[in-house]
Amino acid sequence: MSQRTRRLLWGLFILLVGVGLFAAYKHFILDAPTATIKWIRHGVTYEFLNPRTLGILLVAPLLLFVLGRSLADLPWQQRVLSVLLRIAFIGLLAFGLARLARTAETQKVCTVFLMDVSDSVQNASIEDARKVVEKAIQAQKKDDLVRLVTFARRPRLVELEKKDGKLVVPPVAKLRHDKADDPKDPVDPGAGSDLQAALQLAYGVFPPGYLKHAVLMSDGVETDGDVLAEANRARGFGVKLFAVPYRRPPPGEVALKTLHLPDKVDIGQPFDVTADIYASRHEKAHARLYQGVTLNGLDSVRELELKPGNNEVKFKSVVRVGGPVTYSLKLDQLTSDKFKQNNNYSATLDVPGRPAILYVEGQPSRASYLTSALSAQQFDVDVRAPTAFPASLKELERYDFVILSDVPKEQVSLASQDLIEKYVRDLGGGFLFAGGENGYGLGGWAHTTIERILPVRMDAQRRKDMPSVAMVLVIDRSGSMNGLPIEMAKAACKATVGTLQGDDLIEVIAFDSTPNRYVKMAPARYRSRIQNEIARIQAGGGTEIFPALDMAYQDISVVQARKKHVILLTDGRAPSQGIKDLVQAMIAESITVTTVGLGDGADGDLLRMIAETGGGRYHAVPDPNSLPKIFTRETELIARQAAVEEWFPVQQVAPADFLKGIAINSAPLLHGYVATQMKGPPAQLILASDRGEPILARSKVGLGTTLAWTSDVKNLWAVDWLRWPGYSKFWGQLVRDNMRKKQRRELDMKTEVENGVVRATVDAFTLDERFDNAMESKLVINGPEPHGDRREVDMKQIAPGRYQAQFRLDKYGSFLLQAKHYKRNKNDNLKQIAVSYGHISNPYPREYASFEPDVDRLERAALAGGGTLDPKPKAVFDPGKDKIVYHKQLHNRFILAAILAFLLDLLIRRVRLFDRRFLPKRRRRAA
Amino acid sequence: MIFAGFPLSTLLTIGGIAGGLVVVFYILKLRRRPVAVPFSRIWQRILRDKEATTLFSQLKRLLSLLLQLLLLALLVLALGDPRLSRSITKGRNIVVLVDASASMKATDVKPSRIAVAKQKLAKMVRGLGGSDRMLIAQMDASLRPLSTMSGDVSNLQAAVEQIHASDTRADLARGLRFALDSLRDLWRPEIIVISDGEVGDPKEIARGLDLGNADLRYVPIGKSGKNVAITRFSVRRYPLDKSRYEVMLEVTNTNDKPVDVELTLLGDGQVVDVTRLHMGPNERLPRFYKDLAGASRTLEATIKLADGQHDDLPADDHAYALMPERRRARVLAVTHGNTYLDAALLLDEYLDVTEIAPSKYPPKENFDVTIFDGVAPPLSTNTGSALYLDPPDGASAPVKPGHSIDMFGFDVWDKKSPVLRWIDMGDIQVAEGHKLEPAREDHVIGASVKGPVLVAGRRNGRRFVELGFDPRQSDFVLRVGWPLFVLNTINSFVEEDTGYLSSYRTGEVWRIPAPSTAEVATLVDPAGHKHRVPVKEGRAVYLGDQAGFYKLIVPGEPPVTSMFAANLSDVSESRIKPVDKLELGGQKATAALGFHAGVRRELWLYLLFGAILLSLVEWVTYHRRVTV
Repeated sequence: MSQRTRRLLWGLFILLVGVGLFAAYKHFILDAPTATIKWIRHGVTYEFLNPRTLGILLVAPLLLFVLGRSLADLPWQQRVLSVLLRIAFIGLLAFGLARLARTAETQKVCTVFLMDVSDSVQNASIEDARKVVEKAIQAQKKDDLVRLVTFARRPRLVELEKKDGKLVVPPVAKLRHDKADDPKDPVDPGAGSDLQAALQLAYGVFPPGYLKHAVLMSDGVETDGDVLAEANRARGFGVKLFAVPYRRPPPGEVALKTLHLPDKVDIGQPFDVTADIYASRHEKAHARLYQGVTLNGLDSVRELELKPGNNEVKFKSVVRVGGPVTYSLKLDQLTSDKFKQNNNYSATLDVPGRPAILYVEGQPSRASYLTSALSAQQFDVDVRAPTAFPASLKELERYDFVILSDVPKEQVSLASQDLIEKYVRDLGGGFLFAGGENGYGLGGWAHTTIERILPVRMDAQRRKDMPSVAMVLVIDRSGSMNGLPIEMAKAACKATVGTLQGDDLIEVIAFDSTPNRYVKMAPARYRSRIQNEIARIQAGGGTEIFPALDMAYQDISVVQARKKHVILLTDGRAPSQGIKDLVQAMIAESITVTTVGLGDGADGDLLRMIAETGGGRYHAVPDPNSLPKIFTRETELIARQAAVEEWFPVQQVAPADFLKGIAINSAPLLHGYVATQMKGPPAQLILASDRGEPILARSKVGLGTTLAWTSDVKNLWAVDWLRWPGYSKFWGQLVRDNMRKKQRRELDMKTEVENGVVRATVDAFTLDERFDNAMESKLVINGPEPHGDRREVDMKQIAPGRYQAQFRLDKYGSFLLQAKHYKRNKNDNLKQIAVSYGHISNPYPREYASFEPDVDRLERAALAGGGTLDPKPKAVFDPGKDKIVYHKQLHNRFILAAILAFLLDLLIRRVRLFDRRFLPKRRRRAA
Repeated sequence: MIFAGFPLSTLLTIGGIAGGLVVVFYILKLRRRPVAVPFSRIWQRILRDKEATTLFSQLKRLLSLLLQLLLLALLVLALGDPRLSRSITKGRNIVVLVDASASMKATDVKPSRIAVAKQKLAKMVRGLGGSDRMLIAQMDASLRPLSTMSGDVSNLQAAVEQIHASDTRADLARGLRFALDSLRDLWRPEIIVISDGEVGDPKEIARGLDLGNADLRYVPIGKSGKNVAITRFSVRRYPLDKSRYEVMLEVTNTNDKPVDVELTLLGDGQVVDVTRLHMGPNERLPRFYKDLAGASRTLEATIKLADGQHDDLPADDHAYALMPERRRARVLAVTHGNTYLDAALLLDEYLDVTEIAPSKYPPKENFDVTIFDGVAPPLSTNTGSALYLDPPDGASAPVKPGHSIDMFGFDVWDKKSPVLRWIDMGDIQVAEGHKLEPAREDHVIGASVKGPVLVAGRRNGRRFVELGFDPRQSDFVLRVGWPLFVLNTINSFVEEDTGYLSSYRTGEVWRIPAPSTAEVATLVDPAGHKHRVPVKEGRAVYLGDQAGFYKLIVPGEPPVTSMFAANLSDVSESRIKPVDKLELGGQKATAALGFHAGVRRELWLYLLFGAILLSLVEWVTYHRRVTV
């Protein structure tokens, strides 16, 4: 074979090797579905963790190529051996780099001790725990490991110290979690116990290849996390959990655990404030209960003899003013008490204030009677003059009930009337319209918004046997009245006739020096004739009032009418002699006189005197054009509705809850009322006069209620009622029954606090006990009281009829919760339909609330975690039947093999092992 | 420098032996092949050349020896697995929090967000700096560290492989607290959050959290998210008509575009209702199925897009609920005969009532509730919760009856107590009875001014209600309230109250009712895996992270098995639109930097690579006779 052919064959061989190696590399490694290559042999799993480095073997053709061009003086056998060894050398290193590993089993144990060093744990207990750890260290086997984690609010990995070649636990002082370690943290790092977090930190401490054991050393009282939930997870992660409870008796400690307040408190109603006080041993304590910032009024300071365990202490208290009330109980003068934080406890209660009533009285000086009666019934009464009526619905919304008593229409604006209607109809308010001299028709309330919402009409049917009104218009026709004044006076007289009912009687007297009957006393139904006669009045002459007034008196005194009234119009001055006596005589016969002074020339003093004496009104009118208006209004006041002023008994004609317990039939007589007429249903007549006319009627208007009381509420018509023992109760129950229910529904709220997270739940049912769905609810959290922050969170519906909100408490104190529940109406507007109240207390870190070890919790945790309670030192390192399978890397073996291959290769290249035949030849020649 | 592999002494031994051999091999002179030289002048020239190059030849041999020794040294050193001492080079200490919440199951990036997160983390692990250490933790509603703080790449890679997404929300606050605890007092602390950003309200998370000198880094995952979810699913029986129930189901469209979905309700696997819904952008649509009746035990709701396509998060397209069990309560009446009691018990068809004389107590059978009428024998463990009517003084009643009282009524009572639901106790007049003396932990439900007369509580884990008078000595038995009182009490004992909720939320600690005598129960999760869960105060405690139906088996004779359902029910997890930036408490998370593939802290790898390279050089130079 020629040299060229050999070279060609060699080259071909190298090419074949290269292609073969690359194809194998691509097929088995580059195109492999997984990043690693795994196989099982004799139950042992082998795995190349980084198989791509096997590509290093692709340099083998290069070795062969160099060999082909070798200048080395070696026999071919040694050359072949050498290249094989070199390829083996590189191959072994490639296998090492490919990180071949196999599964292996071990029973080495790493035990992590979790040591509770929270504030509630005594140093003696921690010292005990140290001993447990140190005993365990002595019991550990050579390959076992020990780690230590201390925990309070947060866990920490602690390095064990070495002393005389042995591992020891650092002293207690070093184990405690001090404030100095976390200067930025506002809460003491020792003020909590999170066993779950400690266990979770431990998971990250176990090195691979070790069985995982954890020993929980604690009093079992946890303030955050849930060690029971974590225990079975730990088992799932291969961690065996043991527990060593701290068994030292609790230190001398007194802790206020809770302060119970009733769910609902009414103003003025005494109730108990109950404190649960824990004492670890017999102890004396000085207790002070504060209501707000002042000592509780009824029962504030106590000297307590506390027995070991829980103590219940009750304080009497009463709330006088509505709104949030914070109770704080403080303990001091304790002889044996470690923590001061738990000696104070606050709880807040929302006491609904007294119902508020707006009482608008036309005669404020007479408002005291009803005000006193309602105050005695625990109402807050705001008495106002009509001019001070609230200007907005928002202001009016503050009141639970509105009373409008004896107020003339002119003093209540249309806007205010509209507000009252909205208050009743939309806000569900209660409204009482009380009569009097200016009530109902007497106050000009006919055809008004108020009449529309009341259960009565003001155009009362009059009695057929008697006209309601007899009226005499006494008009000055002196020369000074010539022109516009006399024409306007005549227009006023005509308007008066038009205003009167047909049965009412009217007479018109025009006077100068002498009076003259232009219209003789006649029913107003003859309007055209009367008006024609009025038109005949002409101005001229002097002014003499007395004769004219006397004529009017003579004429009106002889007719029968329920109301007799004289209107005197003059623009001049006249002798006043005898007038006062005359008017007094008139009023004695219930004839009232109103005077109108026209222009500056009128004798205002005289006219005012006549009006005051005559029980009427004086009108000073500068502009004659306003005369018809004044006459009309005066006539409306007098004529259209008339008061019935007579003694009569009140009769109950329909049942009403608010009359329960009130002997209404034995109530004193009333001395008058304004005649009205009942509207149809739903208006309901409750009390009636002996004539069957409405005295008290009620009607539902929108969401609210209106009540019409046609008599008065003060010392005019109801004068005898003021002395009646049932007066106060009657009005109290009437108002209470019909006042605005500010929140239509109150839904119970349940609150619970877990791991600092508050969960507030409300169940809503409809009246037929179905689930009330699709409410939109917001929860307002106020606190810590007093003057705390205000937060608002959404309550979400989590199930049919169930709404829930969750939020984290990051401050200590007492908190008030208020949930508002809304629903969308047809117009897609939100409307509040219900409210819920709750309160929670988070007075201090829970670490200071409980000092009795919870061994049961630790036992259950150990049981779920596969371990035991109080294990012996050896037991925490005892693997039992447990074995752990881990990856054992085999690269060192390949390196060792590579060193061997390297040495062999060197030997092959340094010592001629083959082709030694030339030696004898040389020896022979030499010989 | 430390040696993580063979100890130094072993290395020296190996090096010494192998090095000695190398030197010996070089001392041995290679016998050369005799070559016949035909012409002596050429030989002379060769000899002359040889003399001239002897020094150079010796130098080349020495160089060759040194090369071999260097190669050997590299190998021996690699055996020692040398590491740089931390005291010399302080690398970063990194805690990686990998979001494993439900939203990470989204498939907007292929194959899924959690898979991409793992890929990115694996890349980081490979690029870990020589002296860096890393701890990998899976973060969902709870927290699970998967490795120690280690620079061992293979261990960290194994940890990466263990990450899997659950059906819970992510609790970043807990994760960060853990990270800070793990990084306490460590050099160059760094926290890397690998997440799609749906980790809750940043303000809430940052509340009370101080990152200190730890660097916060964020690796965002995900592109976009098209998702429609069932965000609420629960069922409750009506309080009055317990044969009927109502289902609440809430579907949420988390997209900015309207979508049509098909909603299917299944009862025991059979289709109950199919509805097609048109949902506006980001619309939450609650639906209520009222007045349902039937024997369905399990309820399941599923949604799918009406166009037949799948959304990006299938995990929230299913929800499960279990009907509150309406099983027949086994009631034992221990009485000398009480017509009013019999009449009250006849009103509920779901009661299996057994009546025995007091002398026959305890019975052999098990009962859920026992009513002791005028008697109070020691309570047997097989007779459940107990209602005591006028227990005699000195008997084994849980609340000791005090002195006699007469002519009294209920002046205060707990209107919120389930025992007194729908009952007005204010009108009841009692001729005679006893004032009860409850223990501190007992709950007084009703009392007259003369003392407590109706008390509820728990003794040895079992519930009781005790009435301090014989109802026949009052007008109570003539009122509607009497049967309501008896049935309410039984209902509250057998937990058939309307407060019962049909599903738990994943990611929360569940407290599942279980017989209080048990210490440990077995929980079978939806995948069929069994868990040993502790029971405390009558509740099995478990932190669940999978949605579906669960079974709780409480050991006993016979074992008590109950079922319940769990759902994700978290709209924030269903909003899978990724968040690009993470900012906590004013600190903005930066990108995770400093991970360069190829830089490994395991020096032995480089030593071996060096040895291979050197051996190739040596091979070439030897055969080309540069070295001999």
